[in-house]
Amino acid sequence: MAELLQFVITGIAVGMVYALIALGFVLVWKSSGVANLALGQIVLLSSWITYAALVQMGLTIWIGFLVVIIFAVFLGWIIERVFLRPLIAQPILSLITVTLGLAYFIQGIVVFLWPVSVAALPRMFPVEPIRIGPAVVSQQYLWAAAISLFLFIVLSLFFRFSRMGIAMRATADDQRAVQACGIPVTRIFTLSWIFACVLAAVGGVLMSSIGGVTFGLVETGLKSFSVVILGGLDSLLGAIIGGPIIGLAENLGDGYLSRIIGWAGIKEIIPFFIIIIVMFIKPYGLFGEERVERI
Amino acid sequence: MDLPAGTRNYRYADDMAIFRTRTQKVLLALLFILLFTAPLWMNRTWLGVANLIGITIIAATGLNILTGYCGQLSIGHAGFIAVGAYTSAVLTARLGMPFIAGLLGSGIIAGLVGMVFGIPSLRVKGFYLAISTIAAFFIIIWVITHWDSMTGGYMGMSVPQASLGPISFKSEESQFFLIMGVTVLTIFFAKNLARTRVGRAFVAIRDNDLAAEVMGVNLFRYKLTAFFIGCFLAGIAGSLRAHYTGFLSHEFFTLTDSILFVGIIIIGGLGTTLGPILGVVFIRLLDQILTHQLVPFIEGTKVLPAGFASGIAPMVFGLAIILFLILEPHGLAHRWQLFKASYRLWPFSY
Amino acid sequence: MKNIKLILSLLLAVAFVALLGACKSGPTTIDPGKKPLKIGMTNPITGAAAEKGAPMAAANLDAIEYINNELGGVSGQKIEVLSLDNGYDAAKAVTIVKRYIDEGYLFFTCASSGMMTAMMESANRASFPGIVAFSAPNLTQPPQHIYGQTPDYGDDWVAFANYYLKNIWKGTGKPKMALHLLNNSTGAGAKKAAEAKASEMGIDLVIVKEHAATTSSEIASITEIKAKSPDILYISSTPAPTAVIIKNAKELGMYPGITIASGHAGITKALVDLAGADVVEGVYGVYPTVQWGENVPGMAKMTEYVRKNHPNYEGNADYVVSWSQSLIAAEILRLAVTETGADKLTPRTIEEQGFMKLKDFGVGGLHGPVTYTPGDNRLSKSVRVLQVQKGQLIPITGWIDAPLIQYAK
Repeated sequence: MAELLQFVITGIAVGMVYALIALGFVLVWKSSGVANLALGQIVLLSSWITYAALVQMGLTIWIGFLVVIIFAVFLGWIIERVFLRPLIAQPILSLITVTLGLAYFIQGIVVFLWPVSVAALPRMFPVEPIRIGPAVVSQQYLWAAAISLFLFIVLSLFFRFSRMGIAMRATADDQRAVQACGIPVTRIFTLSWIFACVLAAVGGVLMSSIGGVTFGLVETGLKSFSVVILGGLDSLLGAIIGGPIIGLAENLGDGYLSRIIGWAGIKEIIPFFIIIIVMFIKPYGLFGEERVERI
Repeated sequence: MDLPAGTRNYRYADDMAIFRTRTQKVLLALLFILLFTAPLWMNRTWLGVANLIGITIIAATGLNILTGYCGQLSIGHAGFIAVGAYTSAVLTARLGMPFIAGLLGSGIIAGLVGMVFGIPSLRVKGFYLAISTIAAFFIIIWVITHWDSMTGGYMGMSVPQASLGPISFKSEESQFFLIMGVTVLTIFFAKNLARTRVGRAFVAIRDNDLAAEVMGVNLFRYKLTAFFIGCFLAGIAGSLRAHYTGFLSHEFFTLTDSILFVGIIIIGGLGTTLGPILGVVFIRLLDQILTHQLVPFIEGTKVLPAGFASGIAPMVFGLAIILFLILEPHGLAHRWQLFKASYRLWPFSY
Repeated sequence: MKNIKLILSLLLAVAFVALLGACKSGPTTIDPGKKPLKIGMTNPITGAAAEKGAPMAAANLDAIEYINNELGGVSGQKIEVLSLDNGYDAAKAVTIVKRYIDEGYLFFTCASSGMMTAMMESANRASFPGIVAFSAPNLTQPPQHIYGQTPDYGDDWVAFANYYLKNIWKGTGKPKMALHLLNNSTGAGAKKAAEAKASEMGIDLVIVKEHAATTSSEIASITEIKAKSPDILYISSTPAPTAVIIKNAKELGMYPGITIASGHAGITKALVDLAGADVVEGVYGVYPTVQWGENVPGMAKMTEYVRKNHPNYEGNADYVVSWSQSLIAAEILRLAVTETGADKLTPRTIEEQGFMKLKDFGVGGLHGPVTYTPGDNRLSKSVRVLQVQKGQLIPITGWIDAPLIQYAK
C-alpha cells in the first residue's frame, strides 16, 4: 500500500513536468498549426544557457533565471521570424521538416558552444525530501509540479480574458477570418513561439535541476509528445491532465507490470504503447477537438 | 515527362515509354556501363560510400512511395529497416536459411510490420500519424533489445556473409554489384509503380483522400498497401545493410536516422522517382566531405579550439535542410526539371 | 538539332567520367626510408557520445604529439595519425575503417565499444587489427583481430563482486544483490557476467532492473528493490542516471545502509557533480586507470600536455584512458619495428610482432599492466576499486585481476 502511494505521488509529480513542456507544444500548434519537432532541442539549449548564466558567469539564481527567460523570448522571436515566416503558406510537411532541420541546427550549436556535454546545475531547491504518509517525494518534483500548475492557470486566464489571448484562439480557429478582422496574424505567430520557448525554457530548467544538463533532455521532449497525443494536440487542459496520466502509467507500469511480465525495461515503452492505443480508440486525444473535414 | 520539341508518338508504346528518345537511351546505356564498371576505376573508399548510398536509396525510395506518393508521413522508417535487418540476420544466422530467403523474408516481414503500424492511418493523418510512427519505432527497438534469444538483445548479433548459390559476396566489389543491382531494380519498380493503377490511387489519396474515397478508391486497402510497399523496401535495405556490415546492434538504428530519411526525401523532392536518388547522394556526399575533409582541415589549422569544429557538421546539416525548404521547397528533383527545361529551350526562356 | 544534342550529352558524360577519375586514388607510392608510421584513430567527437569522444580524441592526439615531439617518435620514426570523427554513427564508422584499410594504415584505435561493433566485421574480414578503449565480450570473444584495452563491464562486476565478498560482506550465507542496468551494452555486459557467475561465487541475485539514459526518476524501481532488502546494489550505467538512482535511494532511506557500487562507466567526477558530494559519499566503483593527480611516472607529462592543449579536460577520466591508448599504440609499433624493421610493416606483422608480443607494459603506471595472453584479447585485465570520500574518488585497492569469463554460446 505504501508502494502504491509512492508510485502515485511520484508519477503525478514527474508527469507535471512533462505537461509543462507539452504546454509549449500545444501553444504553437493551437495558434499556427505547426508541429514543433525541435522542442527537445529548445529545452536543451535553454538548459545550457541556464548553465552558462549560473555557473559560467556566476550570476545569482534570480538574475540568471531572468537572463534565461529573456534569451527564450529572443529565441522564439528569431525562430519564427527567420525560419518560419518564409514558409508561411507551404504545406504542413515542409514546416514540420523545417523544425526537424532546426533541431539538428540547435544540436550543433549546443555542441559547438559547450563541448562538454554533461553539466550539473547548482542546487536550487532543498534536498530534504518531504514525507507524505509512508511515501517520499523529492522537493524538486513538488516545486516543478507547482510551477507547472501555476503557469497553466496563468495561461488559461490569459487565453480567456486578455485581448491577445482571445486573438490567438481566434487565429487557431480560422486564420483568414482573423485577417479580415484586422488582427496581425504574423504577430500572433511570433507571440505564440515566444511563449512556447519560454515554457520550454522553464521546463528545461526544472528538468535539468533534477537530472543535470545532458542530451537526455531531448528524449524527455519526445515523451511530451505522448502527453500531447493523449491530451489532444490543441487542448491546454489536455496537456495538464495528460502529463500526470503518463507519469502515473510509467511508474505504475514499472512497479507492477514488470513484476507480472518480468521484462525489465517496460517503463520505457509505456508512453509509446499509450500513443498507439489512443490512436486506435480516440485519435484526437482525450480533450482534443475532432477535426471535421470537408472536400 | 518533358520531351524535346519535334518528338512525335505514333504508337501507344512510344507514348508510354520511359526512355523515349535516342539520346535518353544512349545516356542510359552509358550510365549502366559507368555504374557496373565502377569497381574498376573507383577506389575502395568511394566504393564503400557508393554501397551505403545504394542501400540508403532503396530505403529512401520506400519512404518516398509511402510519404511522397501516398502522403502518409512516417518518421519511424529506421525501425522498419531494423526489422528487415534483424529478420534477415535471424533467418540466415540462426535458422540457417540461404541469403535469398533472408532478403525476401526480411522484406515481407518488414512490410507486414509496417502494415500493422499503418493501421492508425485509417483513423488519423498528418502529424498524428507521424507521432504514431515514432511510437512504432520505439516499440520495435524495444522488442529487438529485449528478445534476447533471437536477436542477441543489447549485445547484438553477427551476420554471415551474403551468398547466392556458389558466389559469396565477400569483397567490396562483389557487394557493390549486389547492392547496385537491387537498387536499379528498386528504382525501376518505383518508377513503374507511379504509372500503374496503384500508383495513381496513392497520388489521389495524397491529394485529397475524401475525394478519392468518393471516387471509389478503397482507402483501407491502398493505404495499407502503401505501408506494405514502403516498409518492404525498407526491409530489403535493412537486409543488405546487415550483410554488408556483418554485425548488428540496436544502436545502428536511431530516431535521428528516421528524421534524416524524411529530410532526404524532402531535399530530393517528394513524389518523384529521381528525388530519393538526388537527396541521398547530396546528403551522403555532404556528410563525407564534412567528416573526412572539412573537420580535419579545420582542426588541422588550429584556428578554433579543439572540438569546436565538430559541432559544425550538425549545424551545416540542419542549415542545409532549412535552406532547401525555404529556397527550393519542391526539392532538387524540381530544380533538375527546371534545368532540363531551360536547357531544352535555350536560348528561349519558354 | 537532335544530333547536336546527342553529341553535347556525350561530351558532358565524358567530362563527368573524367571528374570521377579524381575519385580514384590508390595507395600513394612511398619512398623507402623514414616514412611515418600511419595509424588511424576514430572517436565519436560529435553526436550522442560526444561527452566521452571529444576528450578521448584530444587525449589520443596529445599523447601522439608528446611521443613525436619529445621522444622522437618510435625508434626515430614519427607516428602519423588520421583522426576521424565517427559521430557515433554506425554507417560512418564503417566507411572510416574501410578507408583506413584501403589507404594502407597499420592498425586503428577506437574509443567506443558501440562503434567498434560496427567496424568489427570489416576489420576482421580484412585481418586489420584494432584496439578499443572500452570493450565488450562480443568484440573480443571469439578472439580475432579486435583487442580490448580495458576490461569490460562484465569484468568490472566480477572484480567488484570478488572484492565485496572478501572485504565488505560480513554476514553469513549469501549476500543479496540488486542490479540496476542501463538499457544498452553497458548494462547488458554486467548482467551477462552476473548471470553467468553469481551462483558460482555465492551471490544471490534477487532483482534486476533496467533504466534509460534519460531517466529523471527511478523512485518506482528503487521502491521495488527496497522491498527485496538487498545487501548491495550494483549499478552499471553512465553518470547521469547513476546520480538519479543514488539520489532516489537516499530519498527512500536505502542509502546510507546498503552498499552501492558502480561500473567504470558511471564512477567519474561527473557523478559527484550531478548528484552532489554528500549524496554519493561512500559509494564504491571500479575503474581501469588511475585518477588525476596520483603519483605515477606517467602523470607529469599527461598533466603538462592537457594544461597546454586542452585545459578544460584536466580531471576528465576518459582523457587518461585515451592517453594510455596512444602510449600502448606506440609500444605496439615499437615492438613491431624492433622485430621486423619499419619498411616491412603490414597489419599482419603489426599484429603478430606488436600486439601479441605485449608483455607487462606499464603504461607509465596510468593503467593496469598490459600483457597479451593467447585466447584472451583483452590487453589490460585489471581494475582498481575506488570509493567516493568527501567528494573525491579515492582508490582503496591496488590492481585487481579480472579473470576471463567464458560466456556460454
